[in-house]
Amino acid sequence: MTDHERKTIHIPEVCRVEGHSAVHVDIDAGKVSSVTLDVFEGTRFFEKIVLGHHYEEIPHITSRVCAICSTGHVLAAIFAVEQALGIAPSSTTLLLRELLHLGMLIESHATHIYALALPDYVGAPDLSDLASRYPDQFENWNQLRNLGAAIQTIIGGRPFHPVNMHVGGLSRFPAHSDLKKLLAMLSSSLELAFSTCDLLLSFKPPVARTTQPVFLALVPRETEYGFFGNTVRSSEGWEEPVQNYKQYLGEHSVPYSHAKQSTARGKPLMVGSMARLSLFGHRLGRHARSVYTASPLASGDMNSLWNNLAQAIEIVECIYQAELVIEKLLVELPRGGGDTGLKRLPPKAGQGAGAVECPRGTLYHCYSLDDRGHIAAADMITPSAQNTARIELDIREVVTQFVDKEPETLQANLETLVRAYDPCNTCATHMVSVKYN
Amino acid sequence: MDRLEQPLPCISVHSLTGCAGEELVILENLQKALPLVRVVSFPFAQSANEMRPVDIAFVEGSVSQPHDLEKLKAIRATARWLVAVGNCAVWGCVQGGVCRRFTPEQMARDVYGQDNQIAALPSAPLDKYVRVDVKLSGCPIDAGQFLSVLASLLKDHLPYITHKPVCLECKLKENGCVLVEKNLPCLGPITAAGCGALCPTFGAACYGCWGPCEAPQMEAMEIVLKEKGYAIDEVISRLTAFGIPQEIYSRDKPLELKVSRQ
Repeated sequence: MTDHERKTIHIPEVCRVEGHSAVHVDIDAGKVSSVTLDVFEGTRFFEKIVLGHHYEEIPHITSRVCAICSTGHVLAAIFAVEQALGIAPSSTTLLLRELLHLGMLIESHATHIYALALPDYVGAPDLSDLASRYPDQFENWNQLRNLGAAIQTIIGGRPFHPVNMHVGGLSRFPAHSDLKKLLAMLSSSLELAFSTCDLLLSFKPPVARTTQPVFLALVPRETEYGFFGNTVRSSEGWEEPVQNYKQYLGEHSVPYSHAKQSTARGKPLMVGSMARLSLFGHRLGRHARSVYTASPLASGDMNSLWNNLAQAIEIVECIYQAELVIEKLLVELPRGGGDTGLKRLPPKAGQGAGAVECPRGTLYHCYSLDDRGHIAAADMITPSAQNTARIELDIREVVTQFVDKEPETLQANLETLVRAYDPCNTCATHMVSVKYN
Repeated sequence: MDRLEQPLPCISVHSLTGCAGEELVILENLQKALPLVRVVSFPFAQSANEMRPVDIAFVEGSVSQPHDLEKLKAIRATARWLVAVGNCAVWGCVQGGVCRRFTPEQMARDVYGQDNQIAALPSAPLDKYVRVDVKLSGCPIDAGQFLSVLASLLKDHLPYITHKPVCLECKLKENGCVLVEKNLPCLGPITAAGCGALCPTFGAACYGCWGPCEAPQMEAMEIVLKEKGYAIDEVISRLTAFGIPQEIYSRDKPLELKVSRQ
């Protein structure tokens, strides 16, 4: 290939991601002239959908932004509304929310790693091929996913779109017998989580970006690794309260995509498992820490493709933490579980922002309530939207570096790269095409 | 002929605009179906996808942009049975509900700015545009109901899908009534069952995510909720949030006419 050739790489629909997106790269005389990640998922205007609804309805509505991280959208909404109403949840409520959230992380990470990302590494074009040639991996996925789904079903009511989470608390406590079932499932799944890490460590990334990204993640509210917090930390050394998110997080629309793009103090950023590990890996529990410290991540190899591994390490951590949370709940909750006696809170005008660390990164919800408790204004910033600008930069760096690779191979590598971010286009409301001109 | 030599029936799974919840339920239950069918297209779950004639096409999501409509027409042209799965495909869900309050142009301007190039259609269920053979609502669909629809269609039977109210399942579970005993604004009496009365089982009010039951007793629902002290505009806001057209609840006159809005 000569320097004067014009090429295009176009991936019309990135498969095995949630929702719809395309990648388009233009290459002019051996140089990348433009990269676009186009999310062509139909827009749903959630900021408008919630307007006028009573705050009690909001978690059920925002849950529908995205199935796989619905629990995150439910909790971010609840935290934001509680902030607006000026109430703080009880420690038992927080523990139950945490357990539900850990269930979502396990289910989402397992599905992403095995069903969506793994086929790239083993060359399985379809599901029946994966199921028949890799029955063990297929079974691992089933078990881990079932674990996450069981946690969410027992705490939230179903595997996603939970019904038991409300502003102010839960409507029903789980019974000890159900929690003990979860404990048994958790302890039998730890080995599977370790073997998932080993599997991902055995794959050598085919391409790598060339610069370190800016990472952003919530500072966990406890001293351990965690997914809830009120302050965000950047790998550039600053911290900001979530309530000030508009000051550090820029969000703008791009003409070619239905997803907005974000920047952190003007720079592309990466959120998600890798960002969390990079900033707070030292806080991991003993199981996950042992895997993390021996991994390329701990020695500073921040290739985005290792995000799959980062997710696997988080599964180990989530299993460990879920066990700890259940032990605490077995002390705090009545044996038979049952009705919590949750009361409707008096409405009050106010504004509040809430954030949680979802599988793909920090999710922000912000609401203004009128004096009847109805939503007057709303804003949501999803992890996938925050990652988009960095994905485009990654693609640019990889194409620049491997411009002489066979277009088919390069295109496949780029799809793997995009997939490693586990983009959720239904969340971001976004696809891959590389054009060489 | 040896059964093993017969080609497997072909299915495809597609999504338009939605939360990918039905795709997730289908993916998580596909293992049970894999011995019986060949999945020729399922872009959420596999890379090798063909647009070719199938016995059954499952479609989730609502039609919310011209791209969705083109795709839906192409799917309809290849499918013997087209099954609308999930509230989005059957009723339009939350993105359908909001389109009765704002135009897509207004919303695009407010969310993406004046110069946006969003090509949005008012979100609508599939049957606004194409013939739909089976409608399986749910938000998300129930895995058991999905498998029974699949099994029926593989046997060339149209499936039976219940449209009895949530209350029926709630009573079978012997739950206490959250509407009567806890004064919660439960929409179970007018909402289609299939979820196993999930919210009331968890001590919470049903919020109608599966769409209306058959012959919903709206007048009675309204009287009860008024007695419980709920403002009618809040009731309507709840009723219509999940895409259900308001007209469906009124037999002779639109409910809106009886309401004095604040």
